[in-house]
Amino acid sequence: MTDSSRANVVETRNVWKIFGDRAGEALEAVRRDNLSKDEVLERFDAVVGVRDVSISAGAGEIFCIMGLSGSGKSTLVRHINRLIEPTAGEILVNGVNVGMLKPEELLAMRAESIGMVFQNMALLPHRTVRDNIAFALELRNVDIFTRNNVADKVIELVSLKGYGDRYPSELSGGMQQRVGLARALAADPDILLMDEPFSALDPLIRRGLQDEFLELSASMKKTTLFITHDLDEAIRMGSRIAIMKDGEIVQTGTPEEIVTKPADDYVADFVAGISKLRLVYAHTVMIHIEEFESRGSKLPAIEECPRAHPEDDLDKLIGLAVNQENPVIIMDDSTPVGVVTKDALLRGIQGET
Amino acid sequence: MSSDDDIRKPFLEFAGPNGAYYANVFLKIQKATLNRTHLNPVALVGSFVWAALRGSWLLFTIGFVIDLVAAINVALYFKFAKAAVDNVDRAYLVERYEGWSESHIIAAVVIFILGRLLFSWLADRLYVIQYNRWRINNSVNSGVSLTRLVIVTIVSVLIVPPMIYRASQFSPDARTCIKQDRAIDRGEEVSFKARFDCFAIGEFPTLFWIDRPDQISFPRDENGERIVQRTPPREGSPPVNLNTLVAQKIDDGIGYVTVFYAFLFDEITRLLRTMLTAITSVFVGTPWPVTMGVLLFVAYRMAGIRTTIFVGASLIYLALFGFWQTAMDTLSLVVAASIICVVIGLPTGIWVGKSKRAQFIVTPILDVMQTIPSFVYLLPAIAFFSIGKPPGILATVIFAAPPMVRLTALGIRQVSEDTKEAALAFGANPRQLLTKVELPLALPSIMAGINQVVMMSLSMVVIAALIGAGGMGYIVTEALENTETGRGVLAGVGIALLAMMIDRVVQKANLGRR
Repeated sequence: MTDSSRANVVETRNVWKIFGDRAGEALEAVRRDNLSKDEVLERFDAVVGVRDVSISAGAGEIFCIMGLSGSGKSTLVRHINRLIEPTAGEILVNGVNVGMLKPEELLAMRAESIGMVFQNMALLPHRTVRDNIAFALELRNVDIFTRNNVADKVIELVSLKGYGDRYPSELSGGMQQRVGLARALAADPDILLMDEPFSALDPLIRRGLQDEFLELSASMKKTTLFITHDLDEAIRMGSRIAIMKDGEIVQTGTPEEIVTKPADDYVADFVAGISKLRLVYAHTVMIHIEEFESRGSKLPAIEECPRAHPEDDLDKLIGLAVNQENPVIIMDDSTPVGVVTKDALLRGIQGET
Repeated sequence: MSSDDDIRKPFLEFAGPNGAYYANVFLKIQKATLNRTHLNPVALVGSFVWAALRGSWLLFTIGFVIDLVAAINVALYFKFAKAAVDNVDRAYLVERYEGWSESHIIAAVVIFILGRLLFSWLADRLYVIQYNRWRINNSVNSGVSLTRLVIVTIVSVLIVPPMIYRASQFSPDARTCIKQDRAIDRGEEVSFKARFDCFAIGEFPTLFWIDRPDQISFPRDENGERIVQRTPPREGSPPVNLNTLVAQKIDDGIGYVTVFYAFLFDEITRLLRTMLTAITSVFVGTPWPVTMGVLLFVAYRMAGIRTTIFVGASLIYLALFGFWQTAMDTLSLVVAASIICVVIGLPTGIWVGKSKRAQFIVTPILDVMQTIPSFVYLLPAIAFFSIGKPPGILATVIFAAPPMVRLTALGIRQVSEDTKEAALAFGANPRQLLTKVELPLALPSIMAGINQVVMMSLSMVVIAALIGAGGMGYIVTEALENTETGRGVLAGVGIALLAMMIDRVVQKANLGRR
């Protein structure tokens, strides 16, 4: 459900990355014979990191890239700011081909339009929190007064007020990652690259930071590429999710699409354990009113039935169906469009629609 | 099949012949119930032959060396016993040889008996390790194999006879062999045994002789300009070996460079002298109350009160024993050398830390700089820079610079890739990466390098004094010449205190910053 009117802020077109001395040769062979990752490793001593990936993220969108370790997600995201050069393909940031940038322009782009957050924080231990946050500004030779001002504002934004003069080692893991986030936000970039930012944190702190980030993101509207190996997190954070395996994108879609229509067994396996309560909506599980009637079932009087909207999720439908003899009627405005029986509801929770 | 058989099965499979015995012993080892004095009887008799059959090359080496050493001692016994008989008319030789032959036969018996006991004690205990390796990798030697026995026989035939022969003969000295070579050249008869002895025992034979090269000298011509003059060797002068040839070439090279590039060395000497004078004027030129006060203040600010007390006590020692001026002299030498080490070592270290190729080139050079005996480069240093403080500084730099390079490189390399990646992701250019990330993070290591440089510079002051660098080292060398133990010890303690003083202050300062 891409909003086609939104301009793509970040886009990759058929990006390939093969590591190894014989990458060029390997690329040709892979394209010609469609070799697998193992075959390439054996024949060319080269590792396929990213395999023909085309993705696009629109302005303000949180685009999640989900995959297990070694699936190439971190490699892919490092192409966006050209920390890694692609073997083939193009990367467009705000419509500019990143591969064509001159060194000086590339540095400017990294400092001004792309912020990055790392799994292991990668803060500079010899600098205070404030100096860490102002790092990108300092690299662009912004004067000390301005950058301290900016840093202090961002410090407040990530609720670290009063910690500006501490050193990272004095902070807890969660707080350190707030510093990491603040550092990425300080230069007010359009784009955030988040490489498993919350994976190293314990679950409670992770949830808190996820919520905070969602709030921040809603107000700041930064295009975010969010990498995670955790499908739950991807579903919570992402407006869209791309699932990667062996360097390839297996499926791209909204969380609901991924959960309800997994593209293959690999995705289905992932999705199996995911709670559908907040991901599946009434319009997916309902039986259309005509079909319901054509089965010869009798529809009880609408007034005696609980009613819901097509965009209501299963969680809400369950709440309505409890202690009710009658099925839930789905109303679009004031016309009934479908019926959710208890059977359909239970099947929906199981993920079978 | 009972469970006991199950347990024994892999042991039996591994050991092959006589498996029941090994299964029993290995089981005891695993249960930790093996008798402490347990010996393997077959190994006691069979020694290295047993080890070879069983394919344990470690045990084979141990057993072989024990028996070989015993056998060599027997040969030595016979050699000296025979020599005692041959020299019967010279009583003092007879006494000496009989003493030696007696001690060798005792050694032979003791080594043989104790060695065999040790071997058979080790045998099963090491053999079980081989079994453990075999469990992991089935290609590890197992069972008994006659092929291995054949290999061992060949090896023994190649090693044992020459060893025993060598032990039973007096080796000819170099002069005897050279005389023999000449004799052969003149066409005289030389016995095969004499030739063989010269070739195979004693010094590695000189395989080829080279014509003596031209003598090179650098006299002045009629205009007073230096010229290169070659004098061919005298007719009939003997050929030289490789060592003599290359040594002479090196002499020629050094001579050439000193004569024709003197201006270069003069320039370096001048530079070093200027630098040293500037530093010396600070340390020596300042009245002692001022210097002492400043040193104490610096120590206090950098390292706290306890170190300051130590520094104070050391300074008082130097002052009371009349070493103040000399100590300051030494200190200026050390400071000058350290500054040069840092100026050269820091950039080199950064280069080495960042480039694999640089590491490949520089590491062996550093190894040579640190391990080559200092006297070796004192000689060319004198040739190039004559005697005095400048060559002393240079010799010190050669010895003390490597840790600076190494520790800087180590510090740079230790900066984690993640941190560097983060800096790059925020738009750092290479210079910013170095100055804002790598160098600050490498600083503790760099400071340790500076500390090492200072320590090693101080350890060179005595040697530098040999070529006229003066200072505390001079007192030590003078004391050495005149065997004035007392003075030497006092100056030596002074040098040690100087070193400890600097070390404590720098270390404490380094810890405090972290």
